[in-house]
Amino acid sequence: MAISPNGETSERERERGERRHRTEYGGRGRKKKMNNPVIKLCACSTMKRYVYIKDDESSHDLYCANRISNTKYNVLNFLPKNLWEQFSRFMNQYFLLIACLQLWSLITPVNPASTWGPLIFIFAVSATKEAWDDYHRYLSDRKANEKEVWVVRQGIKTHIQAQDIRLGNIVWLRENDEVPCDLVLIGTSDPQGVCYVETAALDGETDLKTRVIPSACMGIDLELLHKIKASFFAESSVGSPSSISVVVLFFFSTPMQGVIECPVPDKDIRRFNANLRLFPPFIDNDLCPLTIKNTILQSCYLRNTEWACGVAVYTGKFLYSCCQGHIAKWNETKLGMSRGIPEPKLTAVDAMIDKLTGAIFVFQIVVVMVLGVAGNVWKDTEARKQWYVQYPEDGPWYELLVIPLRFELLCSIMIPISIKVSLDLVKGLYAKFIEWDNKMIDHETSTPAHATNTAISEDLGQVEYILTDKTGTLTENRMIFRRCCINGIFYGNETGDALKDARLLNAVASGSPNVIRFLTVMAICNTVIPVQSKSGNIVYKAQSQDEDALVHAAAQLHMVFFNKSGNILEIKFNASIIRYEVLEILEFTSDRKRMSVVVKDCQNGKIILLSKGADEAILPYAAAGQQTRTFIEAVEQYAQLGLRTLCLAWCELEEDEYQEWSLMFKEASSTLVDREWRLAEVCQRLEHDLEILGVTAIEDRLQDGVPETIETLRKAGINFWMLTGDKQNTAIQIALSCNFVSPEPKGQLLLIDGKTEDEVRRSLERVLLTMKTTTSEPKDVAFVVDGWALEIALKHYRITFIELAILSRTAICCRVTPSQKAQLVEILKSCDYRTLAIGDGGNDVRMIQQADIGVGISGREGLQAARAADYSIGKFRFLKRLILVHGRYSYNRTAFLSQYSFYKSLVICFIQIFFSFISGVSGTSLFNSVSLMAYNVFYTSVPVLVSVLDKDLSEETVMQHPQILFYCQAGRLLNPSTFAGWFGRSLFHAIVVFVISIHAYAYEKSEMEEVSLVALSGCIWLQAFVMTLETNSFTILQHLAIWGNLIAFYIINWIFSAIPASGMYTIMFRLCRQPSYWITVFLIVAAGMGPILSLKFFRYTYRPSKINILQQAERLGGPILSLGNIEPQARSVEKEVSPMSITQPKNRNPVFEPLLSDSPNATRRSFGAGTPFDFFQSQSRLSSSSYSRNCKDN
Amino acid sequence: MMMMMNPDGASSSGSGKDGASHSSSSAPKKNSKKPIYSRFSQQELPACKPILTPGWVISTFLAVGILFIPIGLASLFASERVVEIMERYDHDCIPSNYTKNLLGYIQSTETNKTCVKKFTVPKQMKSPVFIYYQLDNFYQNHRRYVKSRSDKQLRSKAFEDKTESCKPEDTTNKSPIVPCGLIAWSLFNDTYRFSVKDSELNVTKKDIAWKSDQEHKFGSDVYPKNFQSSGLIGGAKLNASIPLSQQEDLIVWMRTAALPTFRKLYGKIEVDLEADDEVTVVIENNYNTYSFGGKKRLVLSTTSWIGGKNDFLGIAYITVGGICLFLAIAFILLYVINPRPLGDPSYLSWNKNPAGQMK
Repeated sequence: MAISPNGETSERERERGERRHRTEYGGRGRKKKMNNPVIKLCACSTMKRYVYIKDDESSHDLYCANRISNTKYNVLNFLPKNLWEQFSRFMNQYFLLIACLQLWSLITPVNPASTWGPLIFIFAVSATKEAWDDYHRYLSDRKANEKEVWVVRQGIKTHIQAQDIRLGNIVWLRENDEVPCDLVLIGTSDPQGVCYVETAALDGETDLKTRVIPSACMGIDLELLHKIKASFFAESSVGSPSSISVVVLFFFSTPMQGVIECPVPDKDIRRFNANLRLFPPFIDNDLCPLTIKNTILQSCYLRNTEWACGVAVYTGKFLYSCCQGHIAKWNETKLGMSRGIPEPKLTAVDAMIDKLTGAIFVFQIVVVMVLGVAGNVWKDTEARKQWYVQYPEDGPWYELLVIPLRFELLCSIMIPISIKVSLDLVKGLYAKFIEWDNKMIDHETSTPAHATNTAISEDLGQVEYILTDKTGTLTENRMIFRRCCINGIFYGNETGDALKDARLLNAVASGSPNVIRFLTVMAICNTVIPVQSKSGNIVYKAQSQDEDALVHAAAQLHMVFFNKSGNILEIKFNASIIRYEVLEILEFTSDRKRMSVVVKDCQNGKIILLSKGADEAILPYAAAGQQTRTFIEAVEQYAQLGLRTLCLAWCELEEDEYQEWSLMFKEASSTLVDREWRLAEVCQRLEHDLEILGVTAIEDRLQDGVPETIETLRKAGINFWMLTGDKQNTAIQIALSCNFVSPEPKGQLLLIDGKTEDEVRRSLERVLLTMKTTTSEPKDVAFVVDGWALEIALKHYRITFIELAILSRTAICCRVTPSQKAQLVEILKSCDYRTLAIGDGGNDVRMIQQADIGVGISGREGLQAARAADYSIGKFRFLKRLILVHGRYSYNRTAFLSQYSFYKSLVICFIQIFFSFISGVSGTSLFNSVSLMAYNVFYTSVPVLVSVLDKDLSEETVMQHPQILFYCQAGRLLNPSTFAGWFGRSLFHAIVVFVISIHAYAYEKSEMEEVSLVALSGCIWLQAFVMTLETNSFTILQHLAIWGNLIAFYIINWIFSAIPASGMYTIMFRLCRQPSYWITVFLIVAAGMGPILSLKFFRYTYRPSKINILQQAERLGGPILSLGNIEPQARSVEKEVSPMSITQPKNRNPVFEPLLSDSPNATRRSFGAGTPFDFFQSQSRLSSSSYSRNCKDN
Repeated sequence: MMMMMNPDGASSSGSGKDGASHSSSSAPKKNSKKPIYSRFSQQELPACKPILTPGWVISTFLAVGILFIPIGLASLFASERVVEIMERYDHDCIPSNYTKNLLGYIQSTETNKTCVKKFTVPKQMKSPVFIYYQLDNFYQNHRRYVKSRSDKQLRSKAFEDKTESCKPEDTTNKSPIVPCGLIAWSLFNDTYRFSVKDSELNVTKKDIAWKSDQEHKFGSDVYPKNFQSSGLIGGAKLNASIPLSQQEDLIVWMRTAALPTFRKLYGKIEVDLEADDEVTVVIENNYNTYSFGGKKRLVLSTTSWIGGKNDFLGIAYITVGGICLFLAIAFILLYVINPRPLGDPSYLSWNKNPAGQMK
């Protein structure tokens, strides 16, 4: 609720808010009629605000300032807030409960410090980490906040700190300045009102973008800009009519006033649908639509422009605590909003650990209850007779609870308090290993891999599905113009490069009008900005790689686009300079799949529409009578080669036709609601009767190592789906060339298509039937689906589609939208598969965020995907290493570490339980507080941390035998049955330690402290040997940790034994002098490890797991190369693609029949005895329901 | 996010074809992030990777077996050389008219608690001969019992009032009991006098407690106070004029036992006992073990390097050693009968059976 500074109560304000606003607004607008669109909008649209251009700074601080605050805490609330957050986790609540119970001395078996110590330590560690992170956030905020900027204040340009910018202030920027908040441009140094910004920090795109001032501000002279004096007014009206917000107005009589009507802040950095109106004395005080083109957003840089100024519309912290809890949002700028809070991801391993923790918790409760009952029974039957215990006849009412609670405390160590810390620590290290990995540096751009999310490395080892984008992910996204078809003539088929095709060069030289027009479209139908560098070269700043390729190709064909000043484009063709004036740009959207420009030829004044786009977006709009067959053929042919095709078209427009349309376009572009949709509709009206000029084919080369990577990962049992916005044929060709699908006879491609529900259903069912019948054969069956059919399938036949998805190892989805990509991820996730999504562009962001693991390629389409992703890598081929090496090791290590943590806690706990049976079930702790605490947090935690360096198999072996990943995928190293093994081991070890210690130290030696220390030594020694047995590779650190820990145990205990005040005084010295102590310890080790060693050896030799066999093969230097690897690695891709016949365009085969006939690729894939498609497919996909993922390793 | 901003990026970035210029522009800013090569960071630390070859495992078992059996034999031998005389007297010392009323006998102050037992020394017992009393079914490790003491009070006079942990034997008439707590209160109070051939054997009661306890755990300025003075009398009384550090019986008793069957040192006989000597022991049977069915035994024992008579370690060593030898032989036989090459890739299921299944 806002309190208006002019003293009126907000209550009244609210009542009258809207009415008053209308009148005020209307009044200001003066001669506006009541059907003024603003007023209409303000009545119906619910989410918007008004920003009045102003220059005052004083009393309105209450409302909004540009102070950025990303911090979570401040000095005062840090402790309570942090503690609250930590205690919202179940584990912590449990530990706190235990710790609190320990304060009750009647029931505590040990000193409360033994729980409080570790608890406080753990809390302190996480709190310190939080505080540290927060402090750094604070520092970076302060740096941004205290940056000096020029702002108009009282009509004078003043230097102020960025944090003092108010909504509606006019901010002046100079070249290379960083933009402090989201601004609406109102003036630039450029007479055309253009400025250039670099948006790298926002979307990662390094090319320059043009921003223009709104048409209404065009021509405001500099003097006036300086003198702008306006008022500010902000409103944030929300949803329900009852909560119409307060209207606060400050109006001064000023030379310049204006209002910007803009939506409430959102995070979409590609959209800004607002309106601007300048108040008189401006003549042009019509409503002027604003788009994202008129804004410069926070943290962009102003480039190539001397100065620019704009009105602050979205600022940092908005202190405007208005209705509906808009209280002090962190950051209202687009950048701030789009940051968002990533949802924490939980790995499968975490879920399993939680499940096991739950099971242990239940077990603990059962034990506590049984012992509690036994204890009470014993107390009432036996202890009453034990006169020396002096049990009172009548205890307090809670007496029955005392013994169970004691056992609860005694057993509380069953759930190791150290596991959380240990896991956090090692997970951080896994992430570091990924970032440090020299073999994952993209040397081309020196980009190392980066792990944004440090907590999900194990999941990498359990990936079952990889959903990959095509362009930029599998391919390099480096477009090269290769071929074209102009007017039915194919250029570049012979040479493979149209630019070297003599016929084309001749045609250009001879000035064939079709070719000239074709080149003109290539050169100017785009949003490229040519920049003349100092050396005189022209560098193109292009947002799309395709446009870049086209402009470059045109330039090489002597159609050089060399200057763009304002709306005037200048093209140099041979020696002559041609000028065009751009009238409108009909932008590209993924729905329209085409873009057009309307230009006016400055020589003859003709108005021309130039279009380029996907074939299905252009060819249907060809003028009646035009033959499009050759173009369709060309498109098909190029797609067969895996080239990206664009159709170019143009048409001449009549002057009045254009004028009429232009009005509609203006209106559509100033709508606030559904602007995109309306614009598309309007554009459609112009884009018809096109004259098709030709088809361009752009090559996008596969990245290095893509086929090998896919092949290896498929051998590892990972299923690949390709989701691309590209054409079906292009997608299939790319899929073929990168081992995605195999050609006949080993592979079969099934097509799902249809334009209607019925068609799709039939097609879907038939494909499903085929799938079911062929899955028994080792055949690679894949299905292909396009966006349209997918839409229908997902909407109406979801169940069938899911069934299909489970059966299919491979799928190619073409023409899919970003949201469909995300939907597909969602479907696979709902089938309980671990999914990894990899992509490089903004259109992959949703998919990446949706998937269990998102991997971004820090590629040419900017860093948007890499930002959103959990991991970012430089090239697709690093995925192999990321999964097989890092993912697998992480999984193995976490599996061991977590189970071992439970094991060691259970050992000590079982000993305590056994001891309670010989201590009258009274809940006496055998071990003293110090030992218990040190055991949990030190003796057993430190050595196990070194297991992060353990490697069961060398990286090379894993790469050669990727099938071994199955152990991780199926969760074979951490599941209830392996856990049961560890549980049994802990029980066995507890029995060994307990029985031997109490028998060896019986009678005159049965002194409490001594027995306890003998048992503890037994445990520690056993731990060391268990670690030794379970470690696969010993580095120096492992030796240091395992044996150093054993030595540290003695040193620590000697120190305690030297302190007279401690309970352990002299005990350790005494024990170490006794031969019987050492004999007992060795007996414990031999009796505890003997059976485990022999069992492990027996299994290792006679029932070896695949991991064991590979270990043996690797270390004995045996024949590591197995049959499966005799198959040679793929040859280079280009060789395989080029010999393919292109002269006969392939017919689209009907469903069922293989889309792919024998191709040269078939020979490559079919030789070699081992087929890449083996047990994983048949077993895991056929009966996924009956097949237990957690089947235990034999 | 902020660090991604590169003010110089724009000048050189741009044309898509011009990949080199693109990379060079981003190179300097990203170089700082480039990992430094170290064997640790690359997970390439030199490692030794042992595997469980039959040779290793069999020789380990053989070695353990060969090592353990002699140690076991030596322990067993040492244990056998210890001469131990154990006499249970709790039952025998009850006069026949009280066999139905054990509690009445032991709790009465009227009854004659003296009891005489005779036994013969089976073998020569070299001095020192240790005298222990052994209690069965006595839970010194009971939680209520084991916590009922105050180490601070025992250590120094200054903490005489530190009796919170001693309940219910903490104070009497608001004055602290020294030593407080159930453990001290239930101090064992049977006494033994020995004679051989009518000549009294001198029992040394000095140095039966741990030196460290006498010096640091029990204060030389702490004197018994209010001990066994009111209400229930538990066990022995203490001479209030002797400081706790000299009350060795108490110090021994306060070292609580971890097991319900335990022995505590009563004293030492500093002369050799010859074989066939008839020893007469006069027992003051004061301590009540009848209410909970505990047994009382008198034990005379010599000692060896391994301690008292305890065959457990010897037998366990021989058993474990034997099993190890057996396992070693079994593995050798298994190896001979059914040799299996290690690391044979043909066992990898994806080679063995392309369409098959993973076991």
